[in-house]
Amino acid sequence: MLILTRKVEEKICIGDDIEIKVLEIRNNQVKLGIIAPSNTSILRHEIYLRIQEQNRLAADAPADIQALDAIVSTKEE
Amino acid sequence: MKLETMRFGTLDITDQDIILFKHGILGFPEQKRYVLIPHRQDSPFFWLQSVDMPELAFVAITPSVCLADYVFDIPDNVQEELEMTTAEQAETLLIVTIPKDNPKCITANLLGPVVINTEKRLGMQVVLDPNSYPVQYPLNSECQKEKCA
Repeated sequence: MLILTRKVEEKICIGDDIEIKVLEIRNNQVKLGIIAPSNTSILRHEIYLRIQEQNRLAADAPADIQALDAIVSTKEE
Repeated sequence: MKLETMRFGTLDITDQDIILFKHGILGFPEQKRYVLIPHRQDSPFFWLQSVDMPELAFVAITPSVCLADYVFDIPDNVQEELEMTTAEQAETLLIVTIPKDNPKCITANLLGPVVINTEKRLGMQVVLDPNSYPVQYPLNSECQKEKCA
């Protein structure tokens, strides 16, 4: 992992078209400004983790398709 | 080609049936090829069956069945990734979780919908704004939210 130290108002560049600027540091929070092409996905890491976890739960689907019938029957009626 | 699955036995599929998820489904980065199998005729449920892992299948649902007002903008990067040229190419499915200990309290993931370009056979799990969309939306109105959480 590359580790850089930056002060408020300083930036880092990633490639040619991504800029990250430190806007504010207060207590244990850092506010960042990000300039990136519109086709770049930018997400808080914990959101990724939340969806990964939900997908893992979802992957534990009923072992046979009749089991799903039993579960959804009341819903569909 | 023959496709081995745990739930459906051996299926006869063609290359055209396969939907390519270049980035996989979050948490399952190695599984990139899926087929979409309707659960029953006229059922809103589908199975998103992995081509390369016989036991891996997600239950998914057409959003309009449970949520009349579920809409989101497909981000530019997703449109590019899915080679979309028109909005009509996109089909959205929500991955459903069926809790083992409380199967009636099934939930749909509104935060990470699956978008498929049906023409190009490309799919992607899209991550939306967590302030607007829940990851566990109860499909069964009888279920208290606390019970499903």
